[in-house]
Amino acid sequence: MDTSICQVYEDKIQSLEEEIKLLAEKYEDSQQESTFFSDEEILMSKKSFEREFWRESQGCESPSDLKAQLESLETDLSFLMKFTGIQFTSHFKKTMEKTRNRTVQKHRLSGNCHSLSFQLEFQLLEMQNKENVSVVVSDLSITMESGEDSDVSKFVSSIEEHGNLLAFFRSLSSYAEWYEHRRCTFLHFKAKYPDIVTLPEGLLGDYIILRNSKHSGFELMVVWKIHIDEEGRTTPLLDLLTKVPEQVLEWKMATTENAPTGFRSMLLLFGIEAAIENLIKVVSLEK
Amino acid sequence: EEEEGPLRKKSSCFPHIASSQGMEPGQGELTPAFSLAGEWQGKMEEEKAYSPHGVFAHLEMLEARAHEADMKEEEAKQQEEKLARLKARVQELTLQRDELQAKVDLQQKRQLEKEGVASDPAQPSAQAVLEWKIKRVKAMLQVFCLTGISGKLTKQGVCFCISTAYEGTCLDSYYLDLLTKPEVRILRHSIPIFIPLEQLAKKYLQTDIRRFLSVLSNHLNAYAARKYQADQLQEHFSDQIEGTLQTNSLCNLLVFNYNVPNKSKTFPFNVRLLYGDLCSSIPTKAPASLAEMAAAHSDLFCHVALHKAFRSFSDAGQSAAGAP
Repeated sequence: MDTSICQVYEDKIQSLEEEIKLLAEKYEDSQQESTFFSDEEILMSKKSFEREFWRESQGCESPSDLKAQLESLETDLSFLMKFTGIQFTSHFKKTMEKTRNRTVQKHRLSGNCHSLSFQLEFQLLEMQNKENVSVVVSDLSITMESGEDSDVSKFVSSIEEHGNLLAFFRSLSSYAEWYEHRRCTFLHFKAKYPDIVTLPEGLLGDYIILRNSKHSGFELMVVWKIHIDEEGRTTPLLDLLTKVPEQVLEWKMATTENAPTGFRSMLLLFGIEAAIENLIKVVSLEK
Repeated sequence: EEEEGPLRKKSSCFPHIASSQGMEPGQGELTPAFSLAGEWQGKMEEEKAYSPHGVFAHLEMLEARAHEADMKEEEAKQQEEKLARLKARVQELTLQRDELQAKVDLQQKRQLEKEGVASDPAQPSAQAVLEWKIKRVKAMLQVFCLTGISGKLTKQGVCFCISTAYEGTCLDSYYLDLLTKPEVRILRHSIPIFIPLEQLAKKYLQTDIRRFLSVLSNHLNAYAARKYQADQLQEHFSDQIEGTLQTNSLCNLLVFNYNVPNKSKTFPFNVRLLYGDLCSSIPTKAPASLAEMAAAHSDLFCHVALHKAFRSFSDAGQSAAGAP
């Protein structure tokens, strides 16, 4: 009899303790999410903490490792950003619902992967089962600057439909790496052959024009598109277009007609850089 | 209780000394035992040699009984105290909960009024600011897990965490502890044995860690997706599947039977799915061979005697089973 009364009280205590823990977390989360400190304020705090640390260590009290902890976390984060090429510039999180076995958070994230920027919004549902935790991404919406590209928008809507956030980042990385590679290659040739190479759309455009100033009217256009399919597989597509003035056309007909085919086989044999380099050499030797 | 132990020891080792002392704790309970005294006396006379033992045994029993009563009283007292303690704790916690609830309510009200940003009017301490920032960086690091690759620097290198997912559902994560000096080496990992980690490491680890992780992540994600699909099939369609679904550890070969209802009959289908590309979660083999087999079977029925057609099925089944 007595033990059963005790049991009732004990159960009550346990449920109260759980409730308190949950409420405290809710309060903390909300406090965390609704406050904002600028980088400047954080720097000031670090400095004032350093001073306190000085005073404490002189007074032989044990120094707090808060600053060290923050610095180590920041080092990890900046390493990851550098390693993956994915930079988060801002991140907002709001806890929408929190119970003992269910948490719903809304996230807003913006950043860039190499030179491509993105904004994301999604919901994260965390459910605690008997022994494991399941996490599901839903309500994903993605905005990308290069959204006009039809390939990219098809890929993005397929990702949004399935809430496939992880696949988005994995594909974005390889897509952005090709983007970066193309930019670097264009930059390299522009710097090496400034008289011949022009970039009408700048470094982020998808073509370059090769032109020999001694032969006005004769141009080669190297188009380099980066294709991404709905599954997120990325492939570079290169092609050559020729522009030849009419008087040249007659006696160089055969050569210019064969140029695109030749360029394609050169790509397969030597790779992108060497193929473009060869084209440039041909143009600069043209008399 | 403390008196009990040594006393008993004494009574067994030194009966004479114990006799005078042993009376004391049991005295209050002696009255009912006196009725037994006559009997005891008789017994004692009979067993003269053992007589002291008889008394002592009795005393011991009394002592034990007294002790039991004490224990009960003590227990009741303890129980009462415990109950009082529990009640007080419940009260204390209820108060704490109500206070906290009020605090949360106020916070929410304030946030609604201010449309989001509600900073504390009081100047926050440096410690509070740093704690806030730590939580923020931690949250961002957690979000990094959703990109598929996260990790932290260690003393000798990096410990990467590769996470996997199928569509929006996050699945298992795997760890890879890398030593970066003097050369890149895998120190420890939690990657399943059937993933060709060594081959991949040999191919990419020294030259391109990014590429290595990306290919490894492809393998792990494809494996996780295949396993997830097989689990889903078993969980949600077990009524349609005949028998059990069989799979290998890499989950790139699935064998199961299912029935296709057609008019009033059902057709049993035997499926063997082969995922030839280890980085893919879609089979490379099955659908074509299924269609082919169905076509071949109906073709045979139209051209060969029934029992011969079936003989050829079982022959084909055996040779297929024997094939690597």
